[in-house]
Order: sequence, then structure tokens, then C-alpha cells
Amino acid sequence: MATITATAQKASPPGILANRAVRKLLILAAAAAILVPLAHAQWSSGTWPAAFTVDVSEPLGKASDWIIDNRDGHPLFLYFFGHVSNAVVLSVRAVYLALLAVGWAGVTAVGALVAWRVAGVKLALGTAAAFLACGLLGMWVPTMQTLALMVVAVLASVVAGALLGLAAGLSDRMDRVLRPVLDTMQVLPAFAYLLPVVLVFGIGVPAAVLATVVYAAPPMARLTALGLRGADKEVLEAVESLGTTARQRLLTARIPLARRELLLGLNQTIMMALSMAVIASVIGAGGLGDRVYQALASVDVGAALAAGIPIVLLAVVLDRVTGAAGERLVDDAPAAPAQWAYALAAAVAVAVAGRLAGLLEWPEAWEANIAEPVNRAVDWMTAHLYSGVPVVGGTADWAGRFTTWVLDPLRDGLQWLPWWSVLLIVAALAWLIGTWRTALTAVLALAAIGVLGVWKPSLDTLSQVLAAVAVTLVIGFATGIAAARSDRFERWLRPVLDVFQTMPQFVYLIPVVALFGVGRAPAVAAAVVYALPAVVRITAQGLRQVDPAALESARSLGATSGQQLRQVQLPLARPALLLAVNQGVVLVLAVVIIGGLVGGGALGYQVVFGLAQGDLATGLVAGAAIVCLGLMLDRVTQPTGRRTAKGA
Amino acid sequence: MSTATGTSTPPDTTRSSAPVFSVDGLWKVFGPKAGRVPADPALAALTPAELRSRTGCTAAVRDVSFDVRKGEVFVVMGLSGSGKSTLVRCLTRLIEPTAGTIAIDGEDVRAMDKARLRELRRHRAAMVFQHFGLLPHRTVLDNVAYGLQVQGMGRAERRERAARVVAKVGLEGLEHRRPGQLSGGQRQRVGLARALAADPEVLLFDEPFSALDPLIRREMQEEVVRLHREEGRTMVFITHDLQEALKLGDRIALMRDGRVVQLGTPEEIVGSPADDYVREFVRDVPREQVMTVRTAMRPASSSDETDGGPALRPDATVSEAIEAVARAGSAARVMSDGRCLGVVDAEALLSVVAGTADVAAGSRAAGAMGVPPLERSRERGRVGAAAPAERREPTAPATPSEEPV
Repeated sequence: MATITATAQKASPPGILANRAVRKLLILAAAAAILVPLAHAQWSSGTWPAAFTVDVSEPLGKASDWIIDNRDGHPLFLYFFGHVSNAVVLSVRAVYLALLAVGWAGVTAVGALVAWRVAGVKLALGTAAAFLACGLLGMWVPTMQTLALMVVAVLASVVAGALLGLAAGLSDRMDRVLRPVLDTMQVLPAFAYLLPVVLVFGIGVPAAVLATVVYAAPPMARLTALGLRGADKEVLEAVESLGTTARQRLLTARIPLARRELLLGLNQTIMMALSMAVIASVIGAGGLGDRVYQALASVDVGAALAAGIPIVLLAVVLDRVTGAAGERLVDDAPAAPAQWAYALAAAVAVAVAGRLAGLLEWPEAWEANIAEPVNRAVDWMTAHLYSGVPVVGGTADWAGRFTTWVLDPLRDGLQWLPWWSVLLIVAALAWLIGTWRTALTAVLALAAIGVLGVWKPSLDTLSQVLAAVAVTLVIGFATGIAAARSDRFERWLRPVLDVFQTMPQFVYLIPVVALFGVGRAPAVAAAVVYALPAVVRITAQGLRQVDPAALESARSLGATSGQQLRQVQLPLARPALLLAVNQGVVLVLAVVIIGGLVGGGALGYQVVFGLAQGDLATGLVAGAAIVCLGLMLDRVTQPTGRRTAKGA
Repeated sequence: MSTATGTSTPPDTTRSSAPVFSVDGLWKVFGPKAGRVPADPALAALTPAELRSRTGCTAAVRDVSFDVRKGEVFVVMGLSGSGKSTLVRCLTRLIEPTAGTIAIDGEDVRAMDKARLRELRRHRAAMVFQHFGLLPHRTVLDNVAYGLQVQGMGRAERRERAARVVAKVGLEGLEHRRPGQLSGGQRQRVGLARALAADPEVLLFDEPFSALDPLIRREMQEEVVRLHREEGRTMVFITHDLQEALKLGDRIALMRDGRVVQLGTPEEIVGSPADDYVREFVRDVPREQVMTVRTAMRPASSSDETDGGPALRPDATVSEAIEAVARAGSAARVMSDGRCLGVVDAEALLSVVAGTADVAAGSRAAGAMGVPPLERSRERGRVGAAAPAERREPTAPATPSEEPV
């Protein structure tokens, strides 16, 4: 009866909660009072009743076996998936060979020149330095593999996303159909996409590229549709008043007016593609991600770092160059074609010169082996910092204590709770924050997890998510408030957040393994570090955007700065804070799942296990549970638009 | 500056050509099953609030009829929500009317197919928007040339024509700026130039200067007056600003809740408001600057009066007459073509200022004397050739509204 007492407590102080909230809780409590005794009498055990479980692993296993058996014979595979797969392999290979043929000098020169033309001298130097650093670390070939995969995946994502976005931007019906799908895809962890693709294509490059496309296309589609729909109505009317045809309107007005969103979409697609291309190493994408994956599997932090640094450099360079290109294109006149021709000629000249000088492969003498010194440092850390540091204790001690005192009780508590009470809590929370629709979706998603028969591991994952979200929010809100109150702190913090926000999820696993070893605590730590920048940024922005007049009036009434914060800033920034919670939950879930690779266990581990053992059924069920969990967590924390408007 | 272009009013002042726009019984109703409202007299008679509660519909334009004559500036004035912006959009079917007829040069606009409608928008009626509606990614020159590009004109030709229009609206030297780099007044000049570039028969203005500062607004109003004087182009001008309406309009249609409550010259609107709403509206207008001596004069009572005293044109404003009468110390004669039409004395002029003059009586008196009435000329000093023919029509009724309320 845990929920009922909890709801009763919440409802008792009158006037504190809005009337509506109390009403919602009372309705839920009434429903629970009728249903719970029934449920309790029928299935008294705490976990999800077996009667409600549908065993899907057998049919899934059969389906997977059938696909494996028929992959070379069935017309569907021969004439459709086969062609897709071949096209992907061929194009990735072609780009890869082209990159190798241009040579490292050529690639660096072309990259720097493109960056120079679209983003300026500073970023050109940065690009060149990043490419050279990849070579120095001995990662030239894996970098090119990742880049080749990225080029193909980004092109496909942009084309697919732009077409979908065009459809959603021009047709209201398409928009109604696509929007919820894209919104949901946006909140799902990357891991959920891996298994369905593997089921069809098997492990390998085609699966990796397609998973990347599926993951990276939604932002392009969303932003294209947003840009097309958000165009200034009066401009469109003016254009119509000049007697344009629909085609002319689209080409000369709507698409150019949406160029800011289109470029933002391109930027986001590239970043998502990089993030996924690295994670897809789990399903056969070679390159940098694979090096990290292999190194993590043998807890070789040095090797992981050598592959991780190029990933970070690639991410930062791609983000800055596309971002700067976007701003330039929006503000200035497009560069004259002649200048592009010069830049291209110069790049070709450098590539040819490099070829003639024999600078194709990165010379081995120039490679710096950082793996060994890093591993020595990690060994020293293991010896000196893991435990027994006076007063503060060691990192492994912290991880152990966090596991024992926070994660274990939370997990055991959740698993001990009767299943119906978990549903009730979720329903109450979702309904209080959002509408009955979001509550219904959340409850159904949670129930689906029970039906799939992965109740326990899902609650294990949930406990890690909750712990990580709690830590993230405490640190994030505190840092966000500090950043909002001190300009100097914010100036110092901004570049740090910029870099952290561009890094792919996978990379965060490397330092936490170095610090905390493997287990659930490092997975949680990685999730916290990954989600923090977004939470800090949204909080600080929300607080800073509070109406200055309201703040000034509070100050004129003699409020202390603490009173201003508590009574004006925080209440007025409520929508931003709710958004921060929502983002925090979604981001934390993504990394907690990936934490399965470093001993996080639960659903993430089942996916990895399924992939490693070829037991796709287990993996698919876990993947579906991840989808449901993501849906549930997003819906529970999703404030309604109306509330947001009211709070603002 | 340029002389009259092809569309300027031909010099034959006696022509009685068809109106440029002829609007009859126009309705625009927003909401579910909008078509039934104009069709059903019971629904059509409801007040806006009743209509809304009964049908869920909002009638933005209710049974509006008027003609826009060639070469005139036709102002539609009303407060926000009176339906004036909807009305002007209905003229080129940017908003599809619910009922009624619209004709341009006698051609039914509502019956046009898509291609014909595009042709209308491309060549015959161009619009200037309140928030300019410029394309932010194009330069000033390319914005002005956009309408020509849409028509399929070649790059060199359209740029050359656009450059001429840019010069005409006083934007030389800014051709290669983006709209984002211009001030509000400059942006609206670009909007005006874009509309002019297609050399349309009619210019439609939708509150073009409302978003501008007062000083810039006056400057732009004078720009419009200048353009009209030079080219004599027909203009339909939407505004919520009474001063602007009086300054620019040859005739003003005053709208309220979707209906035209009064249609007439500025002088008629100010001098004889059709109802209390209009009276309240024009209460603070400096009457002596709008009313002309024609409305204030009385027939000469003796040959003394017709022979002596200062002479005034019939379209001189009352404030000019006050100055003349004060300087001479006697009544002034209103002279036209060497004939004395009547006399204004201090008493008559003061009663105009005080708002007690019987304007209709004055008009009637003038009309009875067989003189072309209301030959007005305001500060713009209209050139004789462009004087529209409608001035020849007698406007006898006391309330010159075409929309009895």
C-alpha cells in the first residue's frame, strides 16, 4: 500500500498543491483502492505475475533463424536488402579507398582548406591540427575508416531526413503522422537501434551504416519540417501576392527561409552520426569505435584513450566547422565560386604533391605511443588512488560505497515494490507533470516491459537511471544556478560545456573505467558526466531568461539574493527546470544502457550479450524493453505545453 | 524624376471608365460552414458576438460594397479587428472571399482560375505589407527584382529594371545590402519598390507604415503622395491612423466590425459623420485643416461682396481662409474661373472650427449653383491632368455613405 500512503501524504496539505493536482491524485487513489485489493488477492508476489508474461523469445529466435537461413536465398533479401547492403558496402569502401588514395597530407590539406573557406582561418588550423593528432596517435587508418562510414551515413541521413522533413513541412497530415514518431526516436537510446538492423543485415558494415542513418536522420527531418513550418507568414504571403507558383514559393522562399534550421539539422545529423558510428562498432563498424570497444573489453585504458582522443577531436572539429559554416552562410553573401575553385585547386595540388613525395601512409616513425604511459599512469592510480587514500578514501572505495549504499538499496527497493504500485507511482508522476495522455503512454510502456518478461533487469536499469539522474540534477542545478549568478563562472564554464556536449556517448566510458574500474557505479558516473552539460546549460539559460523586471521589482522590495532566487528566479524558470529534468533523464538512460559494456549489467548487458552470442532473441527483447523504458521516462518527465506556457 | 508611366491617368478628364476595383456584397466569414452565414439573412443580421455564439463563425468582412476609381487613393480605415486587412487580401484572393463579387476592370476576380489569378497578382495588383515581407537572404536589388524573376524575366533585364525602381524610392547605394542591415523605413521603401517594379495597375497597401516611427512614417507618407502625384497610380490604402487616412485619401471607407459605416471624402467624413461612432472617431481632427471654404461659404448677398475682399480658390482649406480673412479684416470671396461662387466671413469660418456649421447646406448651396463640387486640393498640389473624374459627380445627399447604417 506504499503508493496510497504516499499519495495521501501529498494530498493532505491543502493549498500547497494546485487544486487540479489534488483532484488527479484523488482520482488515482480511488482507482487504486478498487484495483489494488483485486490485484493483490490474485497475484500476491511482488514481481510481475507470470500469467501476464508473453514469451516472445521463442518466436523471435525462430524469426532470427529464418532470416539467417534465408539471407542468401529469399527474394526479399536477394532483390532488396541485398542491393541495399551491397550499395552501402561499395560506397563506404569507395570513400575509404579515396581517402587512402589522397593520403594523409592530402586529407589534412583538403580538410583544412574546406574549413578555411567555410569557417575561417582559426578553424582551418584547428582542423589540420586535429588530423595530424590522429596520425600522431597512430590512428590514421581507423580514423579514415570512421570518416568513410560517416560520409556515407551522413549523406544518406541528410537525403532521407530532408525528404521526410519536406513531406512533414508541406503536408499537415504527414506532419501529424511523422512528428510523434520522430519525437520518440529522438529520445530513444542508441543501443535500441542496433538489434533490429542486425536482425536483417547481420553484423557488419551495412548494419552499422543503416543503424547510423536511422539514428541520425530524425534531427534533419525534424528541423527541416520546423524550418519550413516556422517561416515568417507575412513573407510567404508577400511572395504569394507577387503571383508565385507553389514550386517557386518552395524554391525561392520557403527553403531559403529555412536555411538556418537546415544547417542546424546538418550539424546535428553529423554529430549524431559520429556518436552512432562509434557505438556501431558493437555491430561491426570498424574504425575508432572498434578500437575503443576492443580496448575496453580488455580494460586497456591506454589503448582506449589513444582511439578516444581522435573521436573527440573529430567531434569538436566537425561541430565547430559546420556550426561556423551555418552562421556564415546565414549572415553573409555566399562565397564567390571563384574562391572555391582556388581553394579546390590548392587542395588538389597539396594532395598530388603529397602523393609524389610518398606521404600516403602515415609514417610509423611519427607515431607517438601514448597507450603505455597512460597505462602506467592508470596502474599508478590503481595502486595509489583506488583505495586507502587517507580521509577521502579511494575512487574504488567511492564506487563501492555508492554501489552498496545507493544503487543496491534502490534496485532492491524497486524490485521489492509490488508491480502494481510501480505502475501507480509512474501514473501519478506522469499525470501530475503532464496530461492523462502522457500518463497512459508511460503506464502502457511500463506494462509492456512486464509483458516482455524483463521486469527485473528493467528495474535494475531504472534504479541506475534514477540514481544517476538524482546526482546529475543536484550537481547540475547547483552548477547552473552558480553559472546564472556569476558571469565570470559562466565565461569559464562555457567552453568546457561546449566540448563536453559534442563528445559521443561512447567516449565517456574511457575515463570512468580508468577511475572506477568496471561495474554499475562507473556506468552511472559516465551517465552523470554525459548528462551534466545539458542540464547545467538549460538551467543557467532558464534562470538568466527570467524577466528582469520581475527580478528588479523583487530587489526593490528588499529581497535578499537568496529570496530572489527562491521566490522569483526558480519559480519563473520552472519550465526550463522541467526541461532540464527531461533532458537529463533521456541522456542518462542512453549512457546507462551503454554502460552494459563496462559491467553496468541489466538491459544494456543483455543487448551486448545477445550480439556477442548471436542470441538475437534476448537482445531484441532487451532492446524493446529499452524502447519502452525510454518512452516511459520521457513521458513521465514531459511537461505539457500549456503548463510551460503558464509558467513562463 | 520620372514622368507619368504607362499606367498614369490619361489626360481626358471627362472619361467615365469602369472602376478599377468593383466590390459588391463582399463577405468573408471564418469558421465552420462559413458559407451559410451570408446566405441566410437571419444569420447575416446578427451582431458579431451573437454570430460567434450561435455558429462559431467570425465575420471579418460583412456585406461590403465599394468602387475604387482609376487614379484615386482609396483608403480603408478602421481599428484593429475591423476587417480591413482581410478586406484588402480578398481583393487578390490571398484570402478567399466567402460571398459577393469582386471585379477588376470589369473582370470577375472570383471566377479566375489559378493561372489567371497569378497573372493578376504578377502584373495588375501589387501589395505592400505592414511588416515588409522581404526575403532576408536576398539583397535589396534581388528583393525588388523578385517579382520580375517570378514572372520569368531574365537576370540582366530584371536587375536593370529593379535598379531604376530602387533609385525611384531613394535607396541608391543600398542595392547590395540585406534587409537585415536596413532601418524600418528603408525596408518599407524596398517593399514599395518591389511592388512598383512589376508596374502594376493598382498598389495595395496593408498598414504599410504602422510599424514605423512617427517621423519616418510622415516621411513615407510624403513618399507615397509624391509617387501618386508623379504616376497617378490607383492605390488602395489600409490604415488604422485617421491622420494618415485624411492626409492620403481621396475617399475613405470607415470600417467597423466588418462593415463600412461611412464612405466619402475626408471632408465629408469630418464634416458630416454618418453616426455617433464616426463622430467620436473624428472628434479631435483639426477641422479647419480638412474642411474647404466651399463647405463654409454662403451665397454672396450683395455685389459689394462679389467685387471686394481677398479671393480664395474653392479648395482652399478653412485655415487658409481664416488667415486671409484675418489679414484683410473682411469677408473673402471664393473664386473659380473668374466667377464668384460665394463668400466666407469670420462667422462662417469660426462655426466650422467650432463644429457647428451645417456642412450639407454648404455643399447643397454650392451644388445648387451648378459648380463642380468638392474640387479639393490638399497640400500635395495635385496636377490637373491627374485629377480623377469622380470630382465631377454631384454629391448631394446629406450623408454620403454608400452603406446606410
